[in-house]
Amino acid sequence: MILIVDDKQENLFSLKALLQLNLYDADTADSGEVALKKILRNEYELIILDVQMPGIDGYEVAEIITGYSKSKDIPIIFLSAVNIDKRFIAKGYTSGGVDYVTKPFDPDLLLLKIKTFSKLYRQTKELNDIKDNLEQKVEERTAELKQLNIHLEASNSQLQQYAFIASHDLQEPLRKIVTFTRILKERFSEKVPEANEYMSRIIASSERMRTLISDLLDYSRIEMDRKFVLADLNKIVSQSLTDLEIIISEKNAEVVVEQLCPIEAIPEQMAQVFQNLISNALKFSKQDVTPVLRISAELIKEKTIESKLSANGKYCRIKVTDNGIGFDEIYLDKIFGMFQRLHSKAEYSGTGIGLSITKKIIENHSGLISANSKENEGSAFIIILPVKQATT
Amino acid sequence: MAKTVSFLLVDDDADDTSLFKEVLEEVNPSVVFNSAEDGHQALHYLKKDGGTLPDIIFLDLNMPRMSGKECLTEIKRDEKLHDIPVIMYTTSSQSKDIEETMQKGAICFITKPTNLNDLKSILSSISGNVHSNLQKTLRVLSDTANTFIVC
Repeated sequence: MILIVDDKQENLFSLKALLQLNLYDADTADSGEVALKKILRNEYELIILDVQMPGIDGYEVAEIITGYSKSKDIPIIFLSAVNIDKRFIAKGYTSGGVDYVTKPFDPDLLLLKIKTFSKLYRQTKELNDIKDNLEQKVEERTAELKQLNIHLEASNSQLQQYAFIASHDLQEPLRKIVTFTRILKERFSEKVPEANEYMSRIIASSERMRTLISDLLDYSRIEMDRKFVLADLNKIVSQSLTDLEIIISEKNAEVVVEQLCPIEAIPEQMAQVFQNLISNALKFSKQDVTPVLRISAELIKEKTIESKLSANGKYCRIKVTDNGIGFDEIYLDKIFGMFQRLHSKAEYSGTGIGLSITKKIIENHSGLISANSKENEGSAFIIILPVKQATT
Repeated sequence: MAKTVSFLLVDDDADDTSLFKEVLEEVNPSVVFNSAEDGHQALHYLKKDGGTLPDIIFLDLNMPRMSGKECLTEIKRDEKLHDIPVIMYTTSSQSKDIEETMQKGAICFITKPTNLNDLKSILSSISGNVHSNLQKTLRVLSDTANTFIVC
């Protein structure tokens, strides 16, 4: 619909008749005030505005219209018989008009202008509607995603709690299975020698399950603990070596530990990382070769496995290398997965959780872990850790 | 003659309690043994007028109604009770639990053994040393036992 604003009834009448004759819907207002009221209430695709009116004049009406967000895009054509001077025309444009037509006007030309501008308005409006619609959809989707994310985080932490509680509670009955089987074995195995072997198997299996559960417990606990301190990795490594003393001397292994960089870390978790990597290196050593382990560290520029060295780099690259049996790198993704094993239980013991715990700890420290290896040529496990943890 | 030693075990697990009692009576028949099923019952027993106090308390962590930690706090808060040595006796071996209970005043933290011989040696060294240096004895034991002992 087109709105015609003019204080003279005869002008309103003739223009309305012209528009209706050309199949346009037309509405009229005989003052600026009436026009503004109507604009607030109705939808118009074009306004034809007389300049000189008592009360609010055309320029003011135009300024107010372009100030409303609802009406700011409606094209305004000024129509004036009196103010035909260039400065009036210029003022018309600056106050928000798209055109300024002086009287007497050619009805055909005016109609063409009306047609062009209302078409332009409709197209702009359509585009704006599409844009608004899109923006709204994006907002909705973002809100949905945020909600989903919150939900996911909640269920994730709930799951961790469950895993923690479940593995904790599972230990209780299992401990009793072991305890009572041991009592059976101790007290009755002499009387029933055939049962002895079975009881030993029950105990061995239960012990294995206990290790599994306690590993799972460790795994589920990793993210609960986030107390970072400036950690002395050398001290942590030497503690791990003390804990592994027996197996180290059994294997007659040689362990070389270089100067490691101090970093912000959770000491107990880093101790577990070194314990896992060192005991893996010892476990997968070659039978007739003295196991040689080397633990080294260097500061690097960026958080990538291959990053260049940098004396004041923000990341620390830690390497644990061995001369053991190694593995085929096609299994690289596999070895860090939960319950993944490359060897049968008879060949090498283990729950298949160690390296996934290691990986989760490194991720809890916002780091990376990878490995280089070839079958029969030893392995190198590479860890990248930030020297300082981001403060959250 | 040596003074009779009296033990209090606070544990909701009937299997563990009967096993504990059985082993304790085997290693030291003269020991007086009492048990409570949770913290409330234990405190009620300990605070009752005219009763004799135990020489040592074994305290489980995870119990209904009042947990071992809560019970430990109450014991240490009570003037009459706070000198009785408390040993935590539980399935847990979590550093968090160990730190917290040692801080609250437990003298040792023992993970329930699965091997009867370990339980035997623990209970026999404790029942023979309640009045002397208990922690030291248990520390020596922690090197040889298969179970987890922190003192």
